[in-house]
Amino acid sequence: MPTFYLDDQPVDFKQGETLLQAADRAGIYIPRYCYHPGLKITAQCRMCLVEITDMGNGRGMPRLQASCATPAAENMRISITSEKALNAQKTVNEFQLVNHPLDCPICDQAGECDLQDISFLYGTGRSEMNYEKRVSGNRDVGTFLMLERNRCIQCSRCERFSRDLVGTHDFAVFNRSHEVSFDTYGDHRIVHRFQGNLADLCPVGAITQRDWRFRKRAWKLKKTPGVCTTCSTGCNITLDSHQNHIYRISPRENLQVNRWWLCDEGRINFRGLNYHPGSSGPGAGPGKKTPRLEEPQLKARGKARDGGWDGVLEALAPLLKEVAAAKGSVAALADTHATNEELFLLKTLLAEGFGSDKLFFPLQKGKAELRAPAGLEDTFLYSLINTDKSPNTAGAQALGLKGLDGPDALKGALGGKVKIMLVLGSPWEDDPIAGDISTLADLVIYLGVGGNAWSKTADVVLPGFTHAEKYGSFVNRNNLVQRIRPAISPPPQARDQVRTLCSLLGALDREANHADGRDVLAALGAAEGPFKGLNWEALGDGGMPLPGKG
Amino acid sequence: MAQEKLLLLKNIRTKGYAADLAAYRAAGGYKALEKVLGKSQGGMTPAQVTEAVKASGLRGRGGAGFPCGLKWTFMPADPKDKPNYLICNGDESEPGTFKDHYLLMNDPHLFLEGMILGCYALSCHHGYIYIRGESMYLIHRVRKAIDELYAEKLLGSNILGSGFDLDLTVHPGAGAYICGEETALLDSLEGKRGQPRFKPPFPAQAGFNGCPTTVNNVETLANVPFIINNGPEAFAKLGTEGNSGTQLVSISGHVQKPGVYEVEMGHNLKSLIEDFGGGVRGGLKLKAIIPGGASSPIMRPESIDIPYDFDSVMKAGSMRGSGALMVFDEDTSIIELANRTIRFFNHESCGQCTPCREGTFWLKNLIRDFVDNAGSEELMQRVDRVAGSILGNTICAFGDAAGAPMQAFGRVFPEEFRKHFLR
Repeated sequence: MPTFYLDDQPVDFKQGETLLQAADRAGIYIPRYCYHPGLKITAQCRMCLVEITDMGNGRGMPRLQASCATPAAENMRISITSEKALNAQKTVNEFQLVNHPLDCPICDQAGECDLQDISFLYGTGRSEMNYEKRVSGNRDVGTFLMLERNRCIQCSRCERFSRDLVGTHDFAVFNRSHEVSFDTYGDHRIVHRFQGNLADLCPVGAITQRDWRFRKRAWKLKKTPGVCTTCSTGCNITLDSHQNHIYRISPRENLQVNRWWLCDEGRINFRGLNYHPGSSGPGAGPGKKTPRLEEPQLKARGKARDGGWDGVLEALAPLLKEVAAAKGSVAALADTHATNEELFLLKTLLAEGFGSDKLFFPLQKGKAELRAPAGLEDTFLYSLINTDKSPNTAGAQALGLKGLDGPDALKGALGGKVKIMLVLGSPWEDDPIAGDISTLADLVIYLGVGGNAWSKTADVVLPGFTHAEKYGSFVNRNNLVQRIRPAISPPPQARDQVRTLCSLLGALDREANHADGRDVLAALGAAEGPFKGLNWEALGDGGMPLPGKG
Repeated sequence: MAQEKLLLLKNIRTKGYAADLAAYRAAGGYKALEKVLGKSQGGMTPAQVTEAVKASGLRGRGGAGFPCGLKWTFMPADPKDKPNYLICNGDESEPGTFKDHYLLMNDPHLFLEGMILGCYALSCHHGYIYIRGESMYLIHRVRKAIDELYAEKLLGSNILGSGFDLDLTVHPGAGAYICGEETALLDSLEGKRGQPRFKPPFPAQAGFNGCPTTVNNVETLANVPFIINNGPEAFAKLGTEGNSGTQLVSISGHVQKPGVYEVEMGHNLKSLIEDFGGGVRGGLKLKAIIPGGASSPIMRPESIDIPYDFDSVMKAGSMRGSGALMVFDEDTSIIELANRTIRFFNHESCGQCTPCREGTFWLKNLIRDFVDNAGSEELMQRVDRVAGSILGNTICAFGDAAGAPMQAFGRVFPEEFRKHFLR
């Protein structure tokens, strides 16, 4: 690999890479505002200026060059710590602050602001600019966004994203010189489904997400890596939480999956993840409290019998044993929001406990939901949103579950009324079938998190964890196995679905004692099958391809 | 008394010259085109034309003084996948410059002949002439001249039976100083916001619509017919070492006879003001000159007894630029001049690069303090520091154009700044 030298330190580069890109890969940070790996290079913020003492041919460059746009060359020698380079960093940063309001105490970006961080690292710490600053108002620019133009440092990332990746040209440049403003045309409001990325891209607090503004200071957040569950793409996300409350979901870089982006559906998803005690019941929705199943319930003829977990399981065990002994027909219907581990235990329970293979899931046909505008077919962004709105269809298929097109297909596959039906998650929850389960089975056991039609009509309700509360793994549509882990703690009476399934296995005298999803995945990886060789640690935060699928 | 050396202004200086195609032809026009494209004299290949321009030592008259022939050799000689483009920069936005306007208005065919020759040399089949939109009358003038050429089949397909096709389009700019910068001009021509692009790639690699492009100044191209007609040696003989030919100088300001004058490269700067400009008007004394448009550093009268060409003026600490000589008499306030200059540059900065966008804004405020008699030694140093921090740190030369003169005002006329200190 060809090499150049940054402050005498060798840096390998690929042909065509620029200095900053190669330095990034080598883990050397060069300050920047306008450069973003996912956007076209414009070299306009001038923060990444470097001194080139040797272009690789023995001659230096008289002027500092923008390292984000200068192609690396063999044996080039550059410096980011020479007097000239340091001085340029200092003065360019000083210029960035000339018209920046420095309203950090009331700015939502504070704590994760490029301008703030770089000013502390490279700035002078004092200002000699004592004139009135440019003032331009705030604007409501999108269904998801607010624009505070005073804070803008004119890096043009928003414009480039709107133009080159989304193709909607929502942001444009207006005016000239220090009055340059990045704004939408007239009263135009942005309505596309990738708005949140604009807030992420903005290096300062000029573009902020409406449902994040004034909610929490960024430095207080606990960041938990996770996987988005709103569609089968499985975008990598970070769950930003504080004191057991999730405030935001932001994308996490994974070049194999979502690169740097996340759609707005994925971001809004955090609203449904927060648990508020005593909030079970209807009324879910944006900004509303989430209905959660809080207590295990065993209902007999419409009357709930309360006995806590022990009571419910004790009462349930003889019923299960009776059906198992009589070789009664048992079926299970699982939503593919369930993790591989849950599906695996459910399959084990059915096969070993009841000798049944009637394990079904609602099959959603996956294809790109949006069509990219002409000329943007290869920009990737539009392929993010898939019509399969569950994160684990590929996992269910790999584990051998049978996908069904709809409730009618389920009726056919069951072949008449069964003795016991296990329902995991909320499959077809809006279909009448969910409210009419007495025609399907004598006994319906429901494992899930939210109150819905299934939980209302099921005979046994066993509350579980959301994907923000448990360990587990999903397989995305490209057969990449990715792991999730708890960001917040669940309601006190809820129990990990994995533990519940172990208990059900135990009720049938089967040895199953897994602490959480990590344990199950280890067992899954140890056994023959599509997951052979995988374990939770090995997956890492970037995921691994499903071994069974090449 | 010094005389003009007439190459470009020969027709214009002829009394009663009508400036249409017939008059231009009667004055010996389009002979060079005959020589290159016509069958009668054997013709010249594009490479031969480029070679002649290279040998003549013609340097770009737009301001940077880059050798024109060398620039042409950067273009692909045999364009296959992408067409080559020659674009004429007639934006002429540098304050103090009005020579291209003068030339196009009074003798458009001289320039057009050079433009056609340039297109031929670069194997370009569609040339663009970018003229600022404020001067619509000028655009009409050039368009009318082009219509005359189409009518006489000197443009279009198969010019003079040579098989060479060429179309010319005049494009009005929307009046931004920055669109005189070649890559901003290309963006503007493509219908985008005029903002300089970072280089590399240079226009010769990826310019107009991503195709190889050369951008030349009006005056530069207007020199080409003479070089073809009289040979590169005749042109190289004129002027000084490394600065061949004649130059159009726009003299403005406090002189008796402002206007465009043509002299040899290296003509004495002092003589330009005194012999052609007629000296400072009203019997006042000379206080300062700006030798190359608003972006060049100011000079004191003591240091102007130098040859006026690219290298000599550079050696004297300023720039010949586009040949815009601005003369200021003793009543001029240098602070007001600095104020006017920085207000212009602040207004015209495209706002792309941080140092230029914010630096010009800051400088404008600093100079305003001096105008308000609230200056100080500290502020003077700050002007120097802020201007110096813009220099060389931007994508295009605008940063230098704004920073260098601001530094020079304080360096050359510190006493003028001190007059405006807070007392």
